[in-house]
Amino acid sequence: MVRKVESMSASVTASTSLPDNPRPSRGLRRFSLLRSHTQNLSSSLPSGHSYRHSLSSRIPWRFSNSGSISPTHQNPTPPCPESDQPTLSRYTSAPAPGYGFGAELNSQISSTESAASTPSHDVTQTPHAMARLRSSSAAQRPPPRMVERTTTLDSQASTPSPEPGSAQNNVNDPTSAPAEESEATSRSEIKATIRFFPYQDSQQSSRPSLPFVPITRTLPSESCVIRVGRYSERDGIPLPNPTEPSDAPVGFKSKVVSRKHCEFLYVQGQWHIKDVGSSSGTFLNHMRLSQPNMVSRLYTIKDGDIVQLGIDFRGGEEMIFRCVRIRIECNRSWQQQPNEFNKNTESLIKNLGKGETADYSGCRECSICLGSVLRPYQCLFMAACAHVWHYKCISRLLHSPDYPMFQCPNCRAFTDLSAEVDDSNDLEEKRVKETEGQAANDSGEQAEPEEISVSETNRTGETQDQLEELAEDNLVNDVQNLHLQDEPQTDDTRSTASPAPSSTDDLARSATSNIPGWQPTQPLSVPPRQAQLRSETPTSDDNPLTPRNDSGPLAFDGRAGMS
Amino acid sequence: MGSIKRISKELSELTESPPDGITVELADESNLYEWKISMEGPERSPYHNGIFHVKLSLPTEYPFKPPTVSFVTKIYHPNITNDDKGSMCLGMLRADEWKPSSKIAAVLEFARQLLAEPMPDDAVEGRIAEQYKNDNGRYEEVAREWTRKYAGASQ
Repeated sequence: MVRKVESMSASVTASTSLPDNPRPSRGLRRFSLLRSHTQNLSSSLPSGHSYRHSLSSRIPWRFSNSGSISPTHQNPTPPCPESDQPTLSRYTSAPAPGYGFGAELNSQISSTESAASTPSHDVTQTPHAMARLRSSSAAQRPPPRMVERTTTLDSQASTPSPEPGSAQNNVNDPTSAPAEESEATSRSEIKATIRFFPYQDSQQSSRPSLPFVPITRTLPSESCVIRVGRYSERDGIPLPNPTEPSDAPVGFKSKVVSRKHCEFLYVQGQWHIKDVGSSSGTFLNHMRLSQPNMVSRLYTIKDGDIVQLGIDFRGGEEMIFRCVRIRIECNRSWQQQPNEFNKNTESLIKNLGKGETADYSGCRECSICLGSVLRPYQCLFMAACAHVWHYKCISRLLHSPDYPMFQCPNCRAFTDLSAEVDDSNDLEEKRVKETEGQAANDSGEQAEPEEISVSETNRTGETQDQLEELAEDNLVNDVQNLHLQDEPQTDDTRSTASPAPSSTDDLARSATSNIPGWQPTQPLSVPPRQAQLRSETPTSDDNPLTPRNDSGPLAFDGRAGMS
Repeated sequence: MGSIKRISKELSELTESPPDGITVELADESNLYEWKISMEGPERSPYHNGIFHVKLSLPTEYPFKPPTVSFVTKIYHPNITNDDKGSMCLGMLRADEWKPSSKIAAVLEFARQLLAEPMPDDAVEGRIAEQYKNDNGRYEEVAREWTRKYAGASQ
């Protein structure tokens, strides 16, 4: 067994050169357990995995979208597979040559119920039991039994499929339909997104796993597959987090990861994982998916699952021999769209400046101190998931060793606090809008009383219907303004293209009229609402990166357009 | 020591409107971090009519670290260690499962629920778990006997 692992690490073409061991998983597991004990006794853990190092190398990537950047000018050290430089080995993703899976995918969908629900084989019981056993000190646990289907599927998989596109007929699944709901225009919001975060097993006596920068992938279409494998020098370093939908392969700089290790698929509204014949195994919540060099069936994954690629080799002391542990974040797109919760938060925040007239009825409590949050004159912190705490209470979790990664203590959503602020990528367009808003501001200054009532509805109304009503109201206002002053040009533009600026402007003004000296927070809410109303213009509609939320930027991070 | 405010708030909430079958007080009035809880055995469980004394210790890092729950009263239960510590294994109390937004009230209610429905798959006492699964009648008998002996059940 030892020789086997060594040979794997020594040779780059691991998967082909390995002997076909019939039951190696048990041995490997014992081996690793044993090693973990000895490791624990003999050596102290290499601890440094601060994300800060990784940042310097990552941020430039975010700026440049083309997949073919050469990173050499950003990273003084050239990427080398043997290097244990944290920055470089942390994350790389390798565009591996495509390999056919389509036929297999099809057959699996038709033959098994695995996509819709967890299948009824004994394997399904194993992960739960295993997860529990983990806590109750079961050192000698049996390896999960593999379903016979694995072998049958394997034979199916071996028939090469011409194109990944042959799986296309699975795309039109009914489950994605309800997600579309009211917003027919914003198709991009329901695209399947998955995020990978480095996971350090705090409970077990394990060594740190391979550090890497969090990875986000949004599938351009549901038939796409995210391939995961070892990073290869040849393919260059692609973007860890492309700003546009991408199914770019994900690569890890570890020798225990096979070049073709596993795949993530989105089938019938569910994310799945499949081992594609890795030599050192893919583990879903500690359960090995398949024998070495065997293709596994599809396994459903859900938010919070832990996926491990490979097993530490030589104690994992060298970065290059560490296994990869990934915490999956998926099915969270609902959180990045307008929903009851974050709309409520937004309206509460808008209330902050209103002084005595403010309505604190929906006020929530800070989950750390249990005191009420969202009252004026407090320093607050709001995460991307719209959970809010006092800054003082949450600061401990912000300035943790994991910084800039922040995990919401309420909903466990991860956020990269150092991520670039996504204030929509077309600044040009926004500037135009702002000038438009100013023009409207100039013209609409006189009609006060009615407009305040308009702003009332505006404050609470976020749905599209209400916005449409609002637009009508504004039209009425515009007509009234016509009588009050003669500026035919601006009125023209407003009534035809954008009635919004006047209303948002009203909002700002009503706030300032209530509390003299209060700096209005409302202007912050101008851009998205305008973007929403301006979605009739084809340019912003076509662009998937325009933020689609109509509830203002306060309630969201910048990911809305990408989800 | 930002936790003091939160702890006292939770304590006053729990003393004002305690959950079913649970009463809460401080073990020592000067120490906010040690709680004394008495828990009635839930109905339709072998622990019915027993009063179980539970110790809840809060770390100084609370709520960022989970509290620990231990049964002072001996109890025959798959999820509670059968030693002098009587420590209880609750999933939500594990360091990586704990969320600062969880409250002590939820912990206590969960603990009491565990008395009504043991989780043999998550057991700390493997033998009792085995018995619970395979010989439930005998398990209930012993649990009832222990309840009578240690938890002061009247009949």
